[in-house]
Amino acid sequence: MTMLKIENLHVRVAGKEILKGLSLEVKSGEVHAIMGPNGAGKSTLGYVLAGRDGYEATQGRIEYDGRNLLDLEPEARAAAGMFLAFQYPVEIPGVNNTYFLKAALNAQRKARGESELDSMQFLKLVREKLAVLHLKEDLLNRAVNAGFSGGEKKRNEIFQMALLEPKLAILDETDSGLDIDALKMVADGVNAMRAPDRAFLVITHYQRLLDYIVPDFVHVLADGRIVESGDASLALRLEEHGYAWIAQRKLAGAA
Amino acid sequence: MDGLLDEFGSGDAQARAESWRYSRQALRALEQQEFKGADGKATVPRELIERFDWPQTRGHRLVFVNGVLDAALSDASTSGAILETAADGAHTLRFAGKGAMHLVFANVATATPARWNAAVHVRVDSGKAFLVEQHVGTQGADVLGALASQFTIADGANLQTATLGDLPGSASLVRRVEATIGAGSAFGATHALCGGRFQRFDIDAQLAGARAQIAARGVFALRGREHVDVHLDVRHAARDTASDVLWRGVADGRARGILHGAIAVAPGADGADARLQTKNLLLSPHAEIDAQPVLEIYADEVKASHGATVGQLDERALFYLRSRGVPLAAARNLLIAGFCREAFARIEATDLRGPFEALLDAHLPQQQQASE
Repeated sequence: MTMLKIENLHVRVAGKEILKGLSLEVKSGEVHAIMGPNGAGKSTLGYVLAGRDGYEATQGRIEYDGRNLLDLEPEARAAAGMFLAFQYPVEIPGVNNTYFLKAALNAQRKARGESELDSMQFLKLVREKLAVLHLKEDLLNRAVNAGFSGGEKKRNEIFQMALLEPKLAILDETDSGLDIDALKMVADGVNAMRAPDRAFLVITHYQRLLDYIVPDFVHVLADGRIVESGDASLALRLEEHGYAWIAQRKLAGAA
Repeated sequence: MDGLLDEFGSGDAQARAESWRYSRQALRALEQQEFKGADGKATVPRELIERFDWPQTRGHRLVFVNGVLDAALSDASTSGAILETAADGAHTLRFAGKGAMHLVFANVATATPARWNAAVHVRVDSGKAFLVEQHVGTQGADVLGALASQFTIADGANLQTATLGDLPGSASLVRRVEATIGAGSAFGATHALCGGRFQRFDIDAQLAGARAQIAARGVFALRGREHVDVHLDVRHAARDTASDVLWRGVADGRARGILHGAIAVAPGADGADARLQTKNLLLSPHAEIDAQPVLEIYADEVKASHGATVGQLDERALFYLRSRGVPLAAARNLLIAGFCREAFARIEATDLRGPFEALLDAHLPQQQQASE
């Protein structure tokens, strides 16, 4: 079943066109990797899907779960099962992690017409998910991402994903800044969540993460468009030849 | 006529004018009114008593009604403090060893506008003393209170204060503290100032002995036409002294907040470590916050830093919370509360965080949910 359908998407940020006719279809249960050089528009894709202000779709459409995604506020997208793991998770001093997560989970549940979790039920759920990510419980008493190391921030993103159990998870360069142990933990967390009714969009610059999270499809994003799609082996060829190889192939094809 | 300015201001005419420049108008408006002497024997309504009758401070509480000590409501039997009252009516609390006191200033409105003056001095001769100062009141005719204090912290002693300014819209308060901090001693002061028609807080602190320390922290969270003016003046007068001023301000509606933080390092006060940081949040185009950090350094070997910002809510943080499903209004409230709570992060008496956070929660400018 098609979960996400992006057609001819053009997105403008601060007056500049970043996505220039991007099309992509993601079905339930699939893991898609989006690779591409710096500045290709990878993070813009993540932000426009999550609904960040200032990322303006000027053309095209995004259908998510049968609805026009662009009509929904960010919180409504979250309640509908969308999750973005940030490349740069935001530090929010003074806001307690547990309080924030409980507010988020219960707001989503309320919006979906489900019953809210009480403190006991919530803590039980949190402890289960912390164990999977090898995160310490003291993380819960700290402020959101405040003073976290780079690796802790990224693991905290995946922990939030595990807790919120989205239908479509977008991982924006979750591998950047991670050492190999942290990378494996993150990949284990993602792989444990792979399910027939859930899809992943894994945005990455390097092939390394895809050794651990093996995608069903790999797309190359360059200059605001998907210029090449293939299976997991495309990532390996990219790693071998570099992004310039794609550009050359495009030129050859055009000639 | 400069009646109230002469009364509340200090220094020469120029210093007074400068120190009150952002609040001169508020003071003038008060001068227009005819205040009678407040009734120190006014009956304190039950609902007001409930706001300060904390179980944890029973046995060490003094209640002042319109500036007058109310013996029936007070009980200081377990406070460890000695209370002396001078002929002029000024009270002095003396602590030696461990002690704690909850001072309540109840502004009880009567039929006509009324004002009171009181003086409560605190001496910590040795050991560590905790002082909670709570200002509450009933809505009604205007009440203007003026409370003056000298805090004297002897060498090696420690005083920690927590001030909760929680006033109704008809009450105004002018609060002045002159603190002298002896060698190796420490003064920690935390404030949450909310509500009221007009609140003015002055702390004039002298780090008089070597290795004396002061930490002054606080928040004002204002809405409507509330007006709070805070002046922190710290003078490093001895070697190896330390000051740490951290303030948060939030203003919504047509509220006005002022934080003047001035740190002076006197000649010869080498080894001084002075830190001053204030961050402010404006939630409305009609609100105003004036942050005035001032550093005056006359010694050579000094570590000093200061920073002042006035801004809006962080758009990235707002989006982060919303992307997790927290609705816009709730996300804003979460960020505003978190911004203020940073000022309380280092309160020593952890059982005080509850009252501080409850006061803030009741006063923070709440963003209403559009759909509710």
